[in-house]
Amino acid sequence: MLKSINVPRHDRVPSLIPDTQASMTRQEIANNNWEEALTFVALQRDRSAYAELFSYFAPRLKAFGMKMFGNEQQALEMVQDTMLNVWKKAALFDASRGCASTWIFTIARNVRFDMLRKKQSRKDDVSADDLWLNGEYPEQEADTDASQWDTQLLMEKLAPHFASLPPAQREVMERVYLQEKSHQEVSDELAIPLGTVKSRIRLALDRLREALDGARN
Amino acid sequence: MAHAIKFHPGMSLLEQHAEGSLSADVALAVAAHIDLCPHCQQLSRDITADLACQLTQQPVKTNTTDWQHMLNDIMAQPQLSKQAAATQAQLSAQAAEPIIVNQREFVVPRALQRLAANHGKWLHLGGIATAKLPAGNDYHVSLLYISKDTEVPQHTHLGLEMTLVLAGKIVDENGEYKAGDLLINSPDDTHTPRTMADEDCLCLSVLSAPLKFKKGLTRLLNPLQQFFY
Repeated sequence: MLKSINVPRHDRVPSLIPDTQASMTRQEIANNNWEEALTFVALQRDRSAYAELFSYFAPRLKAFGMKMFGNEQQALEMVQDTMLNVWKKAALFDASRGCASTWIFTIARNVRFDMLRKKQSRKDDVSADDLWLNGEYPEQEADTDASQWDTQLLMEKLAPHFASLPPAQREVMERVYLQEKSHQEVSDELAIPLGTVKSRIRLALDRLREALDGARN
Repeated sequence: MAHAIKFHPGMSLLEQHAEGSLSADVALAVAAHIDLCPHCQQLSRDITADLACQLTQQPVKTNTTDWQHMLNDIMAQPQLSKQAAATQAQLSAQAAEPIIVNQREFVVPRALQRLAANHGKWLHLGGIATAKLPAGNDYHVSLLYISKDTEVPQHTHLGLEMTLVLAGKIVDENGEYKAGDLLINSPDDTHTPRTMADEDCLCLSVLSAPLKFKKGLTRLLNPLQQFFY
């Protein structure tokens, strides 16, 4: 029974890309519900959920591809391969492990990497599957190093280094440490996922630590 | 990991790795380090989430592409069951065959398993052995085995040298390196790595140019530099 749903049907695909008036709702979905949409695609082969995902991510992936490849043909090849993988492998997405956008980004990155390698036509060469674990490393304890930073000390010693942080990280750090906002407030204000706020803080702390002791290579 | 890894790739290497913009050979050394290093696993996860957020936030031009056509093409294809998709994804991560050299067995990190299974012949010179991995054009990637109590002659690097300790321990003028530690030496650095009497060592070596040996008679090794490259 279920198998019949799998049969490719060009004739049945409805026009599902929403018009621009729906863009506000899409913005809301962007912040909350792509995980849900992807889960619907995986569990119910939900075409309208996939079309929503597609219409949001495809143009963004194209812009990303244009930056990386510098030409439209390869950028679109990357979009097609990436979104095809999202469709085919939706069942592998696990919302408990992270954002839909992160999952889609890693697929795009791997597709792009393998496209570049293929051009050099080497068999047996390094592939994206070698370089990036498909799935997750076991979860670590909370980063004790990061929480050991005393806020006062941070202000005095590290504030001068704020200027050298990447803008996205600096923006978050300033709101959290200088304006003393909660992670959730920053997430709301910047319209970025809470997880990304936390990620950027950890990254910025590591950068600042690097600026102070230069322990890394 | 019983000890803390002390030598990590810098943030900018980790960022380029997450972005996918490193050359394959350098990326391989970084990926293998990450496999061994929980700290860099966390950083990589964070960097990836950050990059993904940037992807969604970039401005999008008004539509000039025939998206509907692409969408129809894609949805015309069958989806994979969870099991089928997982099998496909894990093909490269099958049960690891240990690497055998000098009657010793080593299990290499996940990132190296597929390539290491296809390593070239072990070439021996004194207490040192190397085997090439089939990776990359610009850099030379090999496994480097150093027996107990053996010194690699002092050398400088004509290019970039990355050495990731996979098992055991080596020391040089600058410190002591154990499994997971990643050493990056630039053309200006000179060092004499050696193993101690009680422990041999297996490394991944990524070189962008042959080594150049510095001292006295070992300069005679320079014609042998191909051995290390």
